[in-house]
Amino acid sequence: MLPLFGGDENLSVDMIPVTLNGTKVSAQPGMTILELARENGVDIPTLCYRPELTPIGACRICVVEVEGSRTLVASCHTPVAANMVIHTHSPKVLEARKVIVELLLASHPDVCLVCDKANTCELRKIAADLGVGLPRFRVKKRYHPLEDVSPYVVRDLDKCILCRRCLRACHEIKKADVFAIAYRGFDSKVVVDQDQPLNKSVCRDCDVCISLCPVGALTKREERFKEKKGPPLFIKA
Amino acid sequence: MNDAPRGIEVMHKGEGSLLTLLKEAQRRHGYLPEEVVSELAESLDIPVGEVYGVASFYSLLSTKPLGKNVIRICKCVPCYLKNSQAILETVEGELGIKPGETTKDGKCSLQLTNCIGACDRAPAMTINHKLYVDLTPRKVIKILKRL
Amino acid sequence: MPEQRIVLRNCGVIDPKDISTYLSQGGFKALEKALGELAPEQVIEEIKKSGLLGRGGAGFPTGLKWQFASEASGEEKYVICNADEGEVGTFKDRYILERDPFSLIEAMAIAGYAIGANKGYIYLRAEYHHLLGLLEGAIVQCEGKGFLAKQGNFKFDIEIREGAGAYVCGEETALMDSIEGKRGEARYKPPFPPSQGLWQKPTIINNVETLMNIPPIILKGSDWFNRIGTERSKGTKVFSVSGDVRAPGTYELVMGSSLKELVEDLALAEKVKMVQVGGASGRVIPYHLIDTPLAFEGVLGAGAIIVFNESRDVIDIVRRTMEFFAEESCGKCTPCREGTQVMLEILTRFCHGQGLKQDIENLESLANVMMLTSLCGLGQAAPNSVVDTLAHYRSAYESRVQG
Ligand SMILES: Cc1cc2nc3c(=O)[nH]c(=O)nc-3n(C[C@H](O)[C@H](O)[C@H](O)COP(=O)(O)O)c2cc1C
Ligand code: SF4
Ligand code: SF4
Ligand code: FES
Ligand code: FES
Repeated sequence: MLPLFGGDENLSVDMIPVTLNGTKVSAQPGMTILELARENGVDIPTLCYRPELTPIGACRICVVEVEGSRTLVASCHTPVAANMVIHTHSPKVLEARKVIVELLLASHPDVCLVCDKANTCELRKIAADLGVGLPRFRVKKRYHPLEDVSPYVVRDLDKCILCRRCLRACHEIKKADVFAIAYRGFDSKVVVDQDQPLNKSVCRDCDVCISLCPVGALTKREERFKEKKGPPLFIKA
Repeated sequence: MNDAPRGIEVMHKGEGSLLTLLKEAQRRHGYLPEEVVSELAESLDIPVGEVYGVASFYSLLSTKPLGKNVIRICKCVPCYLKNSQAILETVEGELGIKPGETTKDGKCSLQLTNCIGACDRAPAMTINHKLYVDLTPRKVIKILKRL
Repeated sequence: MPEQRIVLRNCGVIDPKDISTYLSQGGFKALEKALGELAPEQVIEEIKKSGLLGRGGAGFPTGLKWQFASEASGEEKYVICNADEGEVGTFKDRYILERDPFSLIEAMAIAGYAIGANKGYIYLRAEYHHLLGLLEGAIVQCEGKGFLAKQGNFKFDIEIREGAGAYVCGEETALMDSIEGKRGEARYKPPFPPSQGLWQKPTIINNVETLMNIPPIILKGSDWFNRIGTERSKGTKVFSVSGDVRAPGTYELVMGSSLKELVEDLALAEKVKMVQVGGASGRVIPYHLIDTPLAFEGVLGAGAIIVFNESRDVIDIVRRTMEFFAEESCGKCTPCREGTQVMLEILTRFCHGQGLKQDIENLESLANVMMLTSLCGLGQAAPNSVVDTLAHYRSAYESRVQG
């Protein structure tokens, strides 16, 4: 039997001691920093991560500071290690998250007020939480024609933040592989086949991509232009 | 796991990876026509989008028709310091096309490339797979004449 | 003299098309010694003791990398030689491959023996297609002489895989995805390649130049190698010198030699304004710091030395450098995909004398976040030239802010 009280020794043999925002906590081996944080009631924003999908580490919004590391680390795919000292909301971390949101907003169309995602948009929610208003940076906007040939899914890829959730959901959950990522760099795009408008027979009304899209890039045809429920969000000027 | 490793089963230790096969197809057809991409996807049992994703990622693969000779002029800093601009202007003038274009007779396509590892003999360019170094406008005109 | 030939020992000496000329220079004696006299662990111990650090840019201890892979569980393991050499201003690996392909093959075989791999890949950038025949010929000759054939438990097979035009494929995990036939996007780490690399199997990946050091270390011993160079940087480094110099080319110098010696005394540069050490992702060294030692303690990178004379415009150069990254970003992660494009647009404004008041500050905060949060080394290093020129040539930026 392990002693019930005492110092670090009272951790069961396979628990890992970690310091999270100044508090000593214990983690299970193999757990990610994000999982540990959530278990301990610490909220770290995420965009590309979804618990039901394999992580890809693309958006970088979930970065945290780990003492001794040259860079910040993405919490959604970095496993905890013994004696890690983690800061999830240090000034350095918050500044990094702000800049990342501002980068995503910089190339994003300025149509939030008329967007169907309205106040269920995860990007806007994170921006509001971080106190980001108008982005500091200016960059060209992406232009992709609106795709509304499919009877089910309407794709407005100007709004896409390239989190690849739709792609992974379609592959991992629906096993349909309707989407793929094409081109590279700033021109990267989620495509269907050889960059054709989405109108595939396999793509029925399963909705899995739509329900997982964090922004207004994917919407259900019959739900467009309808009122959305959700808590009000504040957009700073 | 990192971004879903699809199609690996098919390719693992197979004769060639998807990338190798795409390069092979480009060698045969001059570029990667839509039907070829579709056929490749079907024969490997990989989603078409996935194949297109690979084809559109690499700068030496092209999903648009290319000329018989693809001229790639290096535009990176070491070549720029050795006046690669003059080489580009000469080729543009001789062929009457801009980077990204192909001559009407389909003989030449002109592209810009990042460093091709010949900076000690800058400015440099490649035509198809052949490397040309220590270029001068006069030399370039001669090379183009021989094409 | 700072020049010493270890890596380039056979370059210009042997005929790269004829293995007998290599054998007469002691070729394959190191592999013979390893197989005959040393256990795999002893080979790794020698490399560790030599202090050899990776020459591909990151400077990771080679022996340690090999140890991780040898300790990783798994029947199948791989050795990869990184011959992608896409860094702007680098051509030393090409120089080596052109002149001494046999040493590389011998080194890969030694690495295979050390970690328990019987398959090796050379990932050759597509732009070096003109070297493919030579390399294949060298492999065939080595096989013909039986050096890679079964000897005890050891057997080694080498395959060449060509890229298709993507700088990011030089990044080790993107390279592995590319060999697997996929888009060359970087994977997150951990897991690191020595535990899960190519096809998720334990894999070591080393730069061409790193591997070239292996046979001499095995033959002459780690003590010999350890005595050359500086405290932290052992051996020599091969440099690719280009730009405003009278004698561009490949130079091999003992670690710790000064940048000044290389640029002015050997490459014959005059009126130097600044030097970019490490290529596009490297550091910008202004002339007043030209005595900086070329070593991991000073500046090094992969050894690309681009020299600029006084007539050159700093911002024009930095803009072109950023254009390179914006074009070569794989596009997977936000800071690099969006950040390189934002920076390119800002720098383009400066080039036209239309910088905005906020731009300098924005460049700084963006650079900081790109370095801290990008998924791979490309995005992390992309802002280096911006950061360094803002530190040393700030007035060049300030003078182009409008209003
Ligand atoms: C964007 C990027 C490009 C790289 N290109 C190369 C390259 O062309 N050749 C190389 O050897 N290493 C390159 N590297 C470094 C490799 O990721 C890796 O560290 C190296 O191959 C390891 O070998 P070494 O330990 O022998 O240096 C690159 C890294 C990054 C981030
Ligand atoms: S469409 Fe939506 S889910 Fe798909 S990548 Fe874009 S933002 Fe992500
Ligand atoms: S840093 Fe750049 S190259 Fe590396 S993963 Fe991110 S987008 Fe791709
Ligand atoms: S949520 Fe972790 S990188 Fe996107
Ligand atoms: S810059 Fe042109 S070959 Fe390197």
